[in-house]
Order: sequence, then structure tokens, then C-alpha cells
Amino acid sequence: MLFYSFFKPVVELKNDLSICRTLHSVDQYLNIKLTNISVTDPEKYPHMLSVKNCLIQGSVVRYMQLPPDEVHKQLLQDAARKEPLPQKQ
Amino acid sequence: MFRYESLEDCPLDEDEDAFQGLGEEDEEIDQFNDDTFGSGAVDDDWQEAHERLAELEEKLPVAVNEQTGNGERDEMDLLGDHEENLAERLSKMVIENELEDPAIMRAVQTRPVLQPQPGSLNSSIWDGSEVLRRIRGPLLAQEMPTVSVLEYALPQRPPQGPEDDRDLSERALPRRSTSPIIGSPPVRAVPIGTPPKQMAVPSFTQQILCPKPVHVRPPMPPRYPAPYGERMSPNQLCSVPNSSLLGHPFPPSVPPVLSPLQRAQLLGGAQLQPGRMSPSQFARVPGFVGSPLAAMNPKLLQGRVGQMLPPAPGFRAFFSAPPSATPPPQQHPPGPGPHLQNLRSQAPMFRPDTTHLHPQHRRLLYQRQQQNRNQHRNLNGAGDRGSHRSSHQDHLRKDPYANLMLQREKDWVSKIQMMQLQSTDPYLDDFYYQNYFEKLEKLSAAEEIQGDGPKKERTKLITPQVAKLEHAYKPVQFEGSLGKLTVSSVNNPRKMIDAVVTSRSEDDETKEKQVRDKRRKTLVIIEKTYSLLLDVEDYERRYLLSLEEERPALMDERKHKICSMYDNLRGKLPGQERPSDDHFVQIMCIRKGKRMVARILPFLSTEQAADILMTTARNLPFLIKKDAQDEVLPCLLSPFSLLLYHLPSVTITSLLQQLMNLPQSAATPAPSNPHLTAVLQNKFGLSLLLILLSRGEDLQSSDPATESTQNNQWTEVMFMATRELLRIPQAALAKPISIPTNLVSLFSRYVDQQKLNLLETKLQLVQGIR
Repeated sequence: MLFYSFFKPVVELKNDLSICRTLHSVDQYLNIKLTNISVTDPEKYPHMLSVKNCLIQGSVVRYMQLPPDEVHKQLLQDAARKEPLPQKQ
Repeated sequence: MFRYESLEDCPLDEDEDAFQGLGEEDEEIDQFNDDTFGSGAVDDDWQEAHERLAELEEKLPVAVNEQTGNGERDEMDLLGDHEENLAERLSKMVIENELEDPAIMRAVQTRPVLQPQPGSLNSSIWDGSEVLRRIRGPLLAQEMPTVSVLEYALPQRPPQGPEDDRDLSERALPRRSTSPIIGSPPVRAVPIGTPPKQMAVPSFTQQILCPKPVHVRPPMPPRYPAPYGERMSPNQLCSVPNSSLLGHPFPPSVPPVLSPLQRAQLLGGAQLQPGRMSPSQFARVPGFVGSPLAAMNPKLLQGRVGQMLPPAPGFRAFFSAPPSATPPPQQHPPGPGPHLQNLRSQAPMFRPDTTHLHPQHRRLLYQRQQQNRNQHRNLNGAGDRGSHRSSHQDHLRKDPYANLMLQREKDWVSKIQMMQLQSTDPYLDDFYYQNYFEKLEKLSAAEEIQGDGPKKERTKLITPQVAKLEHAYKPVQFEGSLGKLTVSSVNNPRKMIDAVVTSRSEDDETKEKQVRDKRRKTLVIIEKTYSLLLDVEDYERRYLLSLEEERPALMDERKHKICSMYDNLRGKLPGQERPSDDHFVQIMCIRKGKRMVARILPFLSTEQAADILMTTARNLPFLIKKDAQDEVLPCLLSPFSLLLYHLPSVTITSLLQQLMNLPQSAATPAPSNPHLTAVLQNKFGLSLLLILLSRGEDLQSSDPATESTQNNQWTEVMFMATRELLRIPQAALAKPISIPTNLVSLFSRYVDQQKLNLLETKLQLVQGIR
């Protein structure tokens, strides 16, 4: 839920731009605010050099790569399995 | 004017019809714009206003006589009975344009100095208002549930409001200043938000429900020393969810930071000062905990501004406002700190209640607070946030968007956010979060921390807990309408798709299809078993939560589920022996099947588990082949090894046989043993073998009174085993996960020294070799 876990996701956009750094907030449309960003490949996107914080619209995100050690995979799978259960019951 | 009845009666799920009614009120509100932003927008002390009113009263008879020609006074009976009309006139005076009034004119003229500086807000605010107005509807529609709750929650009339209430609602409003740069909308006599005298409540409601009209004003530090921390603009409220829509630069991270603060204050206020606002007002919101929004506001205002301005009728007073006499110290740099400073006496009480904040936010708040107090940088804190914070501080210093939101508005936003977190069963709703942080806490507790408790990072955000309410959903009905509306909402979703399940039963499926179907079936079985597994794992917790009587039933359920899990694993062939391992092997071919088996094993009974293990051993080469890509088999090692400790030696012997695919009798010459080769070449296989051997050794050595047959069997098997092991070339061996230490003694019993050395070298049994 309100889980500003200490994620430093690498957000890969549909235009092949990859941005990483601190996740600030997410909203219901999965728009993402990142602070203190750094672009993974700065030479390719020099226009991003000056940008520190950004808001990314949810629909242009292709992937979000989360740091694997922050994520407990088994727990996540269990949570996903549990989610539909209450509705069934 | 306002549809109070319908608003108050409607349940939380509302449709948008109500807002059209509110739209009509917009026009009326427009009329009030003048007084808010035009000539009426003058900061004034209520005392002065009161005095002016008193003056008016005295002057009235005179003024009335003098200004017979005044168009504004046409309505008044100038030459009639002054006494009779005095009350009426007074009331009219209050709401009329005060520009004409000599007393006020005089007052205004004395304050040209205090004209507000134009804020750096440009015309976008005014332009934006139109946009806001249009989007207000749908936005509010989305948040209707919360708004109606808010409406319930807000005090309609604080019962212990001071008597100033009445005076405030009736006093003449001070003039609003005009901003030379921004310009001002036409002057209105009554500022927006003036409650009509008869109905104080509805206007307050109106305030929240029609947030657009009012509160945007440029930040004017000398004039409106109410800092950033206090102002709340519903414009900002509207802009919060759709900042990109409005194109307003969004004060970076300020609302999120503030809202936890507001939350802190909310909950702090709720807990500490229940008597402040009557809690019964909030009791109308079923089960909502800690929402004394309004409770905080008067407190803040009182502490901050030094006025007694309770919210509801005093809400208006927010704009008519802070007296110019407020001391300059309140012009400190904007930030949430300021109003904390003013609540110095209460601030320490808040701190314990900020535990529910997310730890990073809390840290951020403290640091900002300290910064504002000490006027120097405080650079501790999480590294991530450090640079962010410092840039944020700079931004705050000259934040052009300060003072846009009132405290109330910020509280409202945070309240919405917290409401989203309400959950009747946090464990269920928020499974991942709860468990993840539990694990983290366990980890940190396990580590040796010499601190004074868990780190702040590990503190959980405590979300409001709400008791589960059973309320039947009643669809929205309007009075006087025929029939019911078809409204679909969260509680009453509309059926979207008519999906009919058709089972395909084709006779002439191709081979690939069959294989695919089989795999799909296996996957389905795995998922079903997983659900059972999750349930079973959960039983411990449920057991603790349940009552005494229910416990046996729970245990039975659990056993039943375990049995069905096992059945699923082995393939259900009721009534017969299970000759075919096929089903199990299918499951084990799939990666998540293997992981699932590893998790199920601890729950199974010993026989069942041994059966599983046997089957695995039997089919190990096949499984190894299938596992080549996934390499998940090693996850099975630890449950298997745990299991081995419970098995009797007979089983161990037969297991060993199975594993090495040894012939039944020692006499037959052993052909090349691809089974064993495969086993030994695989990490898991080799490790399992070694553990098995070690366990056998343990059993042998520890229990001298074993039966001779078992002993013989074991010895035979061991002979064969060692023979085989000697035959395997070393290069083909995999690296095992762990090597038990007693293997040397094991082998030394069955082979001579030379071969022992050979074996040692081969299997790297001695530590030094590796």
C-alpha cells in the first residue's frame, strides 16, 4: 500500500529511455514520480542531463526493474495468489 | 440553495447528479468573488470590524439620512422607522458593499501601505480557475465518498463554540485588498464562504464541496502572515490528482510531506484533545478513526494566529482573516515547521503519534522542523533524501506556491489518503507489506544491534484500523423519483462480460495439443495445491487468533487440506495403490511445482513424505534432465535432509538403492550405471547421495541394536555403492552443496585403505583437498 519502500527502480519507457533512482510516489494511474534521477545512458539522451525530478505518465512505462534484493519473490507470489481468494470466499 | 437533504441522506456511493445542483450555486458564489478578491478583500481584525460595526450602528441613523440618494440604500427605508428597520438595515449593511460606507472607507484609506505584494503567482491561477471549475465536477465525483464522509465528519455546529461565532457571522466583513498586478475580480460585499446567517452549516459544506471559488490568493507575506503551513486552497486540492492537467507546477513533494504531517496532527489531535471538537460529530462517520480535521484547524489557528476562530462559521474567517496586527515573527520561511513552532506546547505531544508516519517522512519532517527552528541545515538522514531535501529547502525558501493551501485543505487531502489505507484486515489486504516488514524486523532483531531498539527504517506505517462494518448496500434513490437508478459502483459492479465456460472435448487432438493440455492441467493442479498450501501455512496464525472451541475444527480442516495436497501431488487414484509416478513427475518437471513440493514437505506426514522422496529418487535422472535449465532442484535439498533425519534405516537403505539404481543382489555384475552417473553429475543428486550416506552412517553407528537383517542389507548396499563410486571417473562429478563430515568413517568400514584414499580424493571428502 503506502509503501515507499526503498526502491530504486529502473524505469524503462516505451521510447527506450531508461531512468533510475528514487521512487517518490505512485498514483492510481501508475504515474510515477522519481526524484534525483539519473539516466542510464546519458550520452544517448543528453537532454535529460539537467533533469533532477520527473513525473512519468503511467502509460509510457514499459518496464520497471526493481532491485532484486529488496523484493522477496516468494512473498510476492504468495501475495498474488492470496489476492483473489477473499472474493471467492 | 443547497441540497442539504439529499447530500446528507445519500449513502457513500453517489452519482453525479448531485453536483449539477451544486453547479447552480456557482453563479451565486461568483457574486461573492467581488468581496473576496475585490475591494472587500482587506485584512482586518475582527475586533476592528466589530468596532466598525458598532460605529455603523451609531452612524446609521445619520448616514441613512445623509445618503438618501444613494442607490445602494434604496432598499432601506431611510425616512421610516429607524428602530423598526434597524435590525433589517444592519443585516443589510453587513452584506452590502462596504465601499460606500464611510467608516470602512476611512479604514481602508489608512492602509494603503499594507497592500499586498503581488505574489509570484501569475494569472495562471485565475485562468486556472475556469479549468478548475470545469473539472471540479468529475474530480469531486470521484472523491464523492470521501467528500460525503467529510461532510458528515465536519462539525456542523461545534456545540462548545465560543459566542464569537455568532458575532463573526454577523459582523461586517473587512474589505479585501486589490492586487495591482494580478487584478481582482469584481468586488463583492460578502466574501465567499460567508455563511448565510440562517444556515451556517450548509455554507461550510459548500466550502468543501465547491472548493473552486474561493481560496486562491497570492501569497502576501505581510498581509497574510499565515504561512504556507496554514493556507489551504481547494484549488490545490483539485490540482493534486491532476497536476498535469492543470499545468500548475506542483510544489515538489510538499503535499506529500505535509500530509503525513497533517496526519500526525490529525491523529495527535484526535488522541490528545478529544474535548476540543466534540468527537460525537465524527462519530457519525462509521468507524472512521481519528479524523478531527476541524479539530486541528482551530487549534492551529489559535496557536498560530492568536485568534479564537473555530471552524465552521469561522471558516469564513480564514479569508477575512488574520489580523494585520499579528506579529511579524510569523513571517518566517514557509514550511510545515512554522505552525509546529506555534504549537510548541503541543508539539512534543505529537511526536509519539508520528509513529504512524512512514519513517522516511517522519525523518524528513523532523529535520525540516529543526531546520526551521535553528535556521541552519541539518544534514542527517537517509542519503537518498538528503540531496532531495536540500534542494527542496531551497525551493521552499522562495516557494511561490506557498500559502496556497489552507491547513484544512491539506488535512482533507491527507484524510483522503489515510482513508484509502483503512482496512478491516490488514494482514489480508496488505499481505506483502506486512510480511515483508515482519521479515525485515526479524532480520534486524537477529542481527546484533547495539542500538536502543529497531532502526527507524524498520518502523511500519501504522494505518488506521477500522472495524468491519456490515452494511447492506442500498442503491441510490432520489426522492420523488420513480424506480431506482442503475448505478454501478465499487459495491455494486456492473457485469461487464458474459463469459461462458465451454469445455473443449475434441477427439482428434493432435499430440502436441495433448501434451500442451496435459501441461496446462498440471499447472492448474499446481495452482490449486498452492492455494491449499497457503491456507495451511496460514493456519498457525488463525489458530492463535481463534477461540478455544474453534481450534479442533481448525485442526481438522488443516489435516484435510494436507491430505488433499498430497493427493494432488501424487495423483488421485482412490482405492488403489499408486503405481504410476507419472503425475508426480509431471509436477516436478515444472519449476514452481518443485518449489511447491519443497514447501509442502514439512507439512506431510513422514510416510507421505518418504513416499515423495522415494519417487523423486527413482525418477531423479529424468528430473535432472528436465531441470537442466531451471536448476531448482537444490531447493529440495534442505527439506529432504530434514526429512531424512526422521526416517528409519530401512527406508534409508531402500532409498539408497533407489538413488543409485543398484541391482537387488550383490552378485550380479553391475553394468555401467547411467542412472548413477546422472545422479552424480548433478549437484543436487550428489548432495542428496552424500547426505543419505551420512545419515545411514549415523544410524548405523548410533544404534548398535539394529536388526541383523537391516545391518546386512545396509552392508550389502554399501559395498555396492562403494564399488560404483570407485568406478566413476572423477571428472564427471559435480560439486555438491555440502559434504557431511562422517563419510570418511563410513567408507572406512567398507573398503580398505587404498580404496579409501581413492574415494576420498574422488569425492573430496577431506577438507584440505578442496
